[in-house]
Formats: sequence, C-alpha cells, structure tokens
Amino acid sequence: MADHRLIAAYRHDLLERLPAELAEEVCDGLADTHQHYVRLGQNPDEAAVAAIAEFGEPATVVDAFRKACPVWRLARILVTTGPIVGGMWAAGLISEQAWGWPIPNTARLAVGLVLFASVALLITAMRTRRYQSLRRAAIAGGLGIAALDGSVVVTALVLAPAFGSLLIVATSVSAARLAFVAGSLRGCVAKPVA
Amino acid sequence: MDALLLAALESGPRHGYAVMEALRESTGGRLDLPTGTIYPALHRLEAAGLIAGSWSLVGGRRRRCYVLTEAGRSALSGRRADWRDFAAVISAAIEGAPWPTTA
Repeated sequence: MADHRLIAAYRHDLLERLPAELAEEVCDGLADTHQHYVRLGQNPDEAAVAAIAEFGEPATVVDAFRKACPVWRLARILVTTGPIVGGMWAAGLISEQAWGWPIPNTARLAVGLVLFASVALLITAMRTRRYQSLRRAAIAGGLGIAALDGSVVVTALVLAPAFGSLLIVATSVSAARLAFVAGSLRGCVAKPVA
Repeated sequence: MDALLLAALESGPRHGYAVMEALRESTGGRLDLPTGTIYPALHRLEAAGLIAGSWSLVGGRRRRCYVLTEAGRSALSGRRADWRDFAAVISAAIEGAPWPTTA
C-alpha cells in the first residue's frame, strides 16, 4: 500500500539525513502508527498528522540517532578532553625544552596541520545534522588524533634525553587515549550503520 | 529509558513500534516519549550487546525485530534491583517510611 503523502515526505526527509536501513526501520513504525490511528476512526490526513506528532519531527529523530551514535560520543569526548591533553603535552615538552629536539620543520608543520584538521573534523561531527557526515567526520578526526598521539609518544620516547614526570604523564594519557580511540573505532567498523 | 526498553523485550522479540505499544500498555498510557526516539535507543542498546536485532519480511515489509541477549537479561535484573533500592530510599525520605535495608 502506498504511503500517505505526509508519511512519504517524512520518509524522504529521513532518507536525506539517515542511512537507508535506519530510515526504513523508523518509517515502518510510522506506517504502523498511521494505520493504528486510521483503525481508531481518524481519516487518513488526521491519522498522518497524529502519527507524525507521536513520532516526533524528522529533526528530532535524526538528532536522537546522532547522539546515540558511538562516534558522536567519541567526537564529544575528544573535543572536551583535547585541551587538557594538549596542556599536559605543553607542560611536558616545555619541561624537556623540546624546541631543541632535532625535528625537521616540515614534520612540525605536518603535526600542526593534522591537529588542526582533526579538531575541525571532530567539531564538524558534533555539529552536522547528517548522520553519514557525522560518521565520516568523527572517524577521520579520531584517526587523526590517534595518529598524532602515536607520533608524539614515539617522538618523545626517542628524542627526550631525560624522561621527566610531566612527560611521563603526557605520554601515558596519550597512550590511553590512543587505546580508547582504537577501541571505539573498531566497534564502528564492525557494525557500519551504528 | 534503557531499563524500560529492556523490560519491554523481556517477554519475547518485538519490533520498534511493538516495543512502544508494550511500554504504553505497561504504563497505562502515561509514558509520553516521541516514538521516533525509541529507535536510536534500541540501536544504542544493540551496540552495547544488550539486545540483538535482525531483519525479517512481514506482510511484504521489511521489519527489524529485537530480542534480549543474556547480557541484556543480566543488565535488566541489575537495573531492577537498583531501581527498587532507589525508590525505597526516596519513599522513605519523602513519606517518613522506615529506612530500607539493602541486604
């Protein structure tokens, strides 16, 4: 049976912002709800309005999916804790006078660019209204942060002449964050729609 | 919310709309949630391994049904116990009832 035009518009709206499987599942329930109101005696137009009111507007549903998405939570955690981890690294690197380490300027520039791009992607992931964009931006941003953590930890281990307590704290936190990001992303790859 | 959804799936597999119907019946229609937000919550519980979802064809329409996993049953028992303790403590505080024991 063809959907009511309001239900069809709702489906179209969801399909633009959610993966097809998620939109299809929600719209299956919406069609049931529409039929429920029709059985209660409402005409199809009234039933469609009532069903949509009961389900919530598409934006509400998409927002709920966004916030239930594991990579959205990953992006939020990384953006929230990023300044703290950055502060630890700043303290650790200053204490070791890291500006004297033999690191090529191109490598320093690359680290800065990756950091900037990763933060921009994570913020985009938190703000976008499109689920697929959210997933792509959060995964790319998370990978960027993981790459940064890995590279700064290895660099510190190789180049720091004396490993002070501040640098130990910074490398430990980065190693923990690296493990957390890897674990979060592994779950997303195992279940692509989630 | 999570405990409510787990409880709605305790008696057997249900699809999203049936979960909402079960919640409505069990709460006498007093639970007023946007039904569309049930689905993200179900996906979150599935990602946590507390429920398992699978697609089937019903009346020519693809439909996703959910079933409680063993981890979900265990989580539901824990949340029920937590809720009973919480409700007993609050009842004692606002009604002057005897302080509950937690044994």
